[in-house]
Amino acid sequence: MDRETTAEIERELDEGGIAAGVEDSPGMKITVARDELVAKLGVVSRAVSSRGTVQVLSGILLSAESGVLSLAATDMELSLRTTLAAQVEGDGAVVVPGRLLVDLARLLPASEVTIEYRPDEGIAHVVCGTAGYRLNTYSAEDFPRLPPVDAQLHAIGRVALLETISRVARSASRDESRPVLTGILVRFEAGKLVMVATDSYRLSVKETELDATAPELEAIIPARALQELSRLSPTAGAGSDTVELGVHENHVVFGTGDAWLTTRRIDGQFPNYRQLLPETFEVELAIARVELADVVRRVSVMAQRNSPLRLRFAEGELTVSAQTQDVGEAKESLPVSYTGEEFVIGFNADFLRDGVDSIVGDDVQVKLINPLRPAILVDPTGDFTYLIMPIRLAG
Amino acid sequence: MAIVAHLDLDAFFAAVEELENPELRRRALVVGGDPRSRGVVATANYVARQFGIHSAMSCAEALRRCPEAVFVRPRHTLYREYSAEVWTAIREVVPVVERTGLDEGYLDLTPLAADFGRARALAEAVRTSVRAATSLSCSLGVAPTKVVAKVASDRRKPGGITVVPAGTEAAFLAPFPVRVLPGVGPRAEERLHAAGIVTIGGLGVLSDLDLRAILPGQVGRLLRDRALGIDPRGLELTSERISISVEETFERDLRERDLLHAELRRMADRLGEYLQRDGLSARTVTTKLRYADFSIRSRSASLPVGIDDAERIGELACSLLDRGLRDRPGALRLVGVGVSGLSGYRQLTLEEAS
Repeated sequence: MDRETTAEIERELDEGGIAAGVEDSPGMKITVARDELVAKLGVVSRAVSSRGTVQVLSGILLSAESGVLSLAATDMELSLRTTLAAQVEGDGAVVVPGRLLVDLARLLPASEVTIEYRPDEGIAHVVCGTAGYRLNTYSAEDFPRLPPVDAQLHAIGRVALLETISRVARSASRDESRPVLTGILVRFEAGKLVMVATDSYRLSVKETELDATAPELEAIIPARALQELSRLSPTAGAGSDTVELGVHENHVVFGTGDAWLTTRRIDGQFPNYRQLLPETFEVELAIARVELADVVRRVSVMAQRNSPLRLRFAEGELTVSAQTQDVGEAKESLPVSYTGEEFVIGFNADFLRDGVDSIVGDDVQVKLINPLRPAILVDPTGDFTYLIMPIRLAG
Repeated sequence: MAIVAHLDLDAFFAAVEELENPELRRRALVVGGDPRSRGVVATANYVARQFGIHSAMSCAEALRRCPEAVFVRPRHTLYREYSAEVWTAIREVVPVVERTGLDEGYLDLTPLAADFGRARALAEAVRTSVRAATSLSCSLGVAPTKVVAKVASDRRKPGGITVVPAGTEAAFLAPFPVRVLPGVGPRAEERLHAAGIVTIGGLGVLSDLDLRAILPGQVGRLLRDRALGIDPRGLELTSERISISVEETFERDLRERDLLHAELRRMADRLGEYLQRDGLSARTVTTKLRYADFSIRSRSASLPVGIDDAERIGELACSLLDRGLRDRPGALRLVGVGVSGLSGYRQLTLEEAS
């Protein structure tokens, strides 16, 4: 995986397809407010590459032009950009090691910071009060050209978008060997937004009504990028209740106030989730959400090293238990409206907890077929569904 | 009658370093700490031993004795990989073993050898198997008890086999200095020396009265028994099945990635079959690579949930191989796939939803 990414980046660097559009100029000199600089570095630093395969990606691009300082960072999957007001004495651009700049900016002693870059010596000078730093830099020419953000944009309700992301994101896979599952399927259709995520063990579907008309769109977007968007929005987008969305062939752009996030789209076929959701069930009951969540959380303590949680449904009672060899066991019951034959079904403790925690409302609708078939948790409103595959218990 | 063998790999850490870098073979090699600080020698190769360098000596002293010596830091991960190979090879000949360290352990020859002649042949087979699998040399001691086997394995290093038949244990041990006896540390040695007892034989013939005066309590009786070759300890076995693996040695060294992948997928199919047959799932997949020069690397990946499906195991095994070859390119004489972290329950997947 790493290798492909590196090869791609190197190829693109070779071809100059993403070479920066900024040329080294005689020198850049800007003065900015320290607190604002720290805040804005916090916005872009999440896109700084930690892989270290291409050095320039570990940096933050600073470019100054007509009274504005722009900051940008990218790891080639995700990019983040923002701007801040600056007193610009010389236009120009330079790439400064990201982690270093973030760390030192936080510690600066005075309220104004001057950053000066002299191309002839390749050094960025940071001066704040009597503190002075000389930082080695990377050339702005080597920084990838980021996808344009000036395409046709659609305004999406911020709360609706972020709520939808937060409900499904946990189900996305972190296993890089199956790229499609590391993404969230995002679909805008008549009057609503639908997101689906699955790691092949559980699957979350959230449908959210939209006020404004949205574009017809279906894309698989890296879950990580969407989670970054959630993190970004409250601070950067304060005052704005919409997020701008632009859809391109290979990438997607989100704009929140003064920050831009772009991310690659993931190629591939997302599992047909409708087909995976069963239509008929043997057992359907409502369980008080908070009580269930508490019991699951307490019993999970004894479900270590991936031991399953056992849910025993009996007349009027659900008993949750867990046992880890050489550690111990836990057991707790709660009343439920179950009638019928007793049966036991096993679940991964984390997956079940994620599911119960994703439900909003007083009750969880629990729907079951048998111990080897998918189980489903549904919101009282019916617009969120969490499918979870059981663990086949031994014997 | 019990027959036990003690096996000890010869200068194990140094031998592995020599395998990894054959240039070192002709030079005095010290695996251990930094000679410029207070490090000590973990293992010295046989060239270094000619200069009087031995384990537990300070590296500074080792450097004084042989200024040309090469000092390398121990690479325990690597040693563990070789050790795993060694024990796999041993188990092919003698299935019941007790590992007491990366480089030593006991083998239960009782069920396999009717007499000490046959036991010697088995010990030779073990030595051959270890050498064939890893190019490493080991020494063995064969005796009726652990304590005697342990002393015996140290007699003909490197690469020697020493057999001490039943009835000759006490006579075998008698001439050695007391310190050689497992269980005699510096304190016990000091007390014995103070009482004028220098050899194991001297310890063995002590009267109860004298023994109590020199080494009071149970320790004294235990050590006197040992001095006579008496040792009630059996093998402590860890027979629990904690992993399953498959491997294949090629007729020629392979470089072609697609051929290697095909091999791995074939092995993954077999592992999948085993797992499904026994109703097990595995959380960790390991790919083993052996290079043309016999050096070994392995790469592992652990999953959030256990799997038993061959395709997934194969996929992971191939990506681990790629990772291994990226870290160290080269032609391979063997690849293997193993699964561990086994459990009797299995997370079902969405593919099984309907």
